[in-house]
Amino acid sequence: MENIYLPKLAEIKEIIQETEDTKTMRLTINNKSIDFLPGQFGEFSLIGEGESTFGFSSSPLRKEYFEISFRTFGRATSGINGLNEGDKIAFRGPYGNFFDTSRMRGKDLVFIGGGIGMAPVKSVLEYCLDEREKYGKITVLYGARTVSSLMYKNNFNEWKTHKDTEVAITVDPGGETPDWTGKIGLVPNVLEQLPLKGENTIAIVCGPPIMIKFVLKSLEEKMGFKKEDIITTLENRMKCGLGKCGRCNIGSVYVCKEGPVFTAKELERLPNDF
Amino acid sequence: MEERYFEITRENLKKFVDSLISGGSEVIAPRDRDGDTFYGKIANFDEANLDMLLPKMSYKEFLLPKTEILFEYSLFGTETEIKDGLEYARGANKKRVIFGGRPCDGAAGRIMEKVFNWDYKDEFFNERFKDLAIISIACEKPDNYCFCMDIELSPESSYGSDILLKKDGGKYFATVTDEKGMALITPCMNLFKEISRDKMPAPKDWKKSFDIEKTKEFLDKNFEHKYFQERFLSCIGCGICTYACPTCHCFDIQDEGGCKEGRRIRNWDSCQFSIFTLHASGHNPRVTQGDRYRQRLMHKFKIYSEKFNKYLCVGCGRCSRNCPEDIDIREIAKDLADME
Repeated sequence: MENIYLPKLAEIKEIIQETEDTKTMRLTINNKSIDFLPGQFGEFSLIGEGESTFGFSSSPLRKEYFEISFRTFGRATSGINGLNEGDKIAFRGPYGNFFDTSRMRGKDLVFIGGGIGMAPVKSVLEYCLDEREKYGKITVLYGARTVSSLMYKNNFNEWKTHKDTEVAITVDPGGETPDWTGKIGLVPNVLEQLPLKGENTIAIVCGPPIMIKFVLKSLEEKMGFKKEDIITTLENRMKCGLGKCGRCNIGSVYVCKEGPVFTAKELERLPNDF
Repeated sequence: MEERYFEITRENLKKFVDSLISGGSEVIAPRDRDGDTFYGKIANFDEANLDMLLPKMSYKEFLLPKTEILFEYSLFGTETEIKDGLEYARGANKKRVIFGGRPCDGAAGRIMEKVFNWDYKDEFFNERFKDLAIISIACEKPDNYCFCMDIELSPESSYGSDILLKKDGGKYFATVTDEKGMALITPCMNLFKEISRDKMPAPKDWKKSFDIEKTKEFLDKNFEHKYFQERFLSCIGCGICTYACPTCHCFDIQDEGGCKEGRRIRNWDSCQFSIFTLHASGHNPRVTQGDRYRQRLMHKFKIYSEKFNKYLCVGCGRCSRNCPEDIDIREIAKDLADME
């Protein structure tokens, strides 16, 4: 008989300060990664300060560690933010469904992320880059409000070194610095200018709800993507992650169990409750 | 086990309950307190108030405590020691008997059991549920807030009760539904007289006032209906409907304690609070009280029944009786059925 709410302890191997208020932590259990799939999530905590829900942000094929990225906002994330390399972090998971990479094989892929929503996108992006030969052209579009709020700056160059891989980084108008050489514009606007076709291409999208809404509109209405070829992940408020505590549902769908990954076609069938 | 039937006089029923207590059971029964009636521990049969239709709150807390320890922690330097909270739940109801509760309250545990056991098993709930013995008494006269008969139960339903008692002509007739019920009466078998099923009083013809299937059909199709926004303008979002409900089971998980020791607990929570679904970003999927009461209706009459083939409601009417704005869920379920 098992207590499903008991956390495991993972060791913090490395901390990357991504921006002023976001960090990436590289974690291990018994000095290696855990089994998970891109898109899945866990409940993380400094015990005593409460749990917080984060998606994994690394490729499951990188076995030496697993990564989470988070923004420090409330009590639970402040607790985790105070941890140092070598400390232990409590975690439960992995939970939820995942990005099904088997149906992406041989297709062109476009990865679209906004703000901290890039974290789960990075997991599946790097998963695909780790098996680069299995996919067609890869395009990455990542946007944040300002240059200083861009995460994963250390990863952009690595992504670009892969063959047939385009990386576009954008900041909202007014968020640029004098030496900024990337794009300027909101993610949906920049997206529409990229040389992409809706045929034989799968789009993976995550970001703030308002960004997802307009990106889906652009992909479907202006760029000819089919709803079943657009995959997104929802970050509803969760507590248990196990389909019990009753807060993450959208209509009859529990995001923690039947999600968090949904196609635009699946979302279309859900009521406007997210 | 096949149901078994017994008859027992009121005098022997008193002896039976008193012998449960003297035998070491903790008997929880409707009990008068502070001018109201609540379920509470009784010292003898006479302390139970069996005339009251329904105690103010249900006995949900014996299955899902208001606050429950998931684990306790102590920190020594960089080492963390965790003590599993399951040991507090284990055996907690071993000697606990609910006596004189109503069939609606008796049904609640068996309904909630489903959500605590799809896929991941919640052993906190299961440990308490498997041991809690329930002796219910059929209602003779439901009030205007009651609607168990509309929700696939009835004032004399034995669903979820180990023993159901029915009063008839100064005597009680007992339906024992399972082994747990038999284990309760076996030591006092001399007080009971076994009878055949045909000697049991015939069930009354309880009339339905609306078709709950139609309520569900309306909810299936009308998520955006203006009814929800208009009808619940008066709701003050106090959440008493969810706390008083025998089947509302949504919970929060919180840590309390310091940097040396403390505990992770789960507490009753309520879908009627705006913070319930508030994202860290500030986005909230359920902005108005209408959105939140609609979620409660959806969960009770659509979502749960789609997933588990049971309505998440026993028709006790406590949410309506306790509502400071007199929002009557039976009237609402009927309105929705009529609009369908």
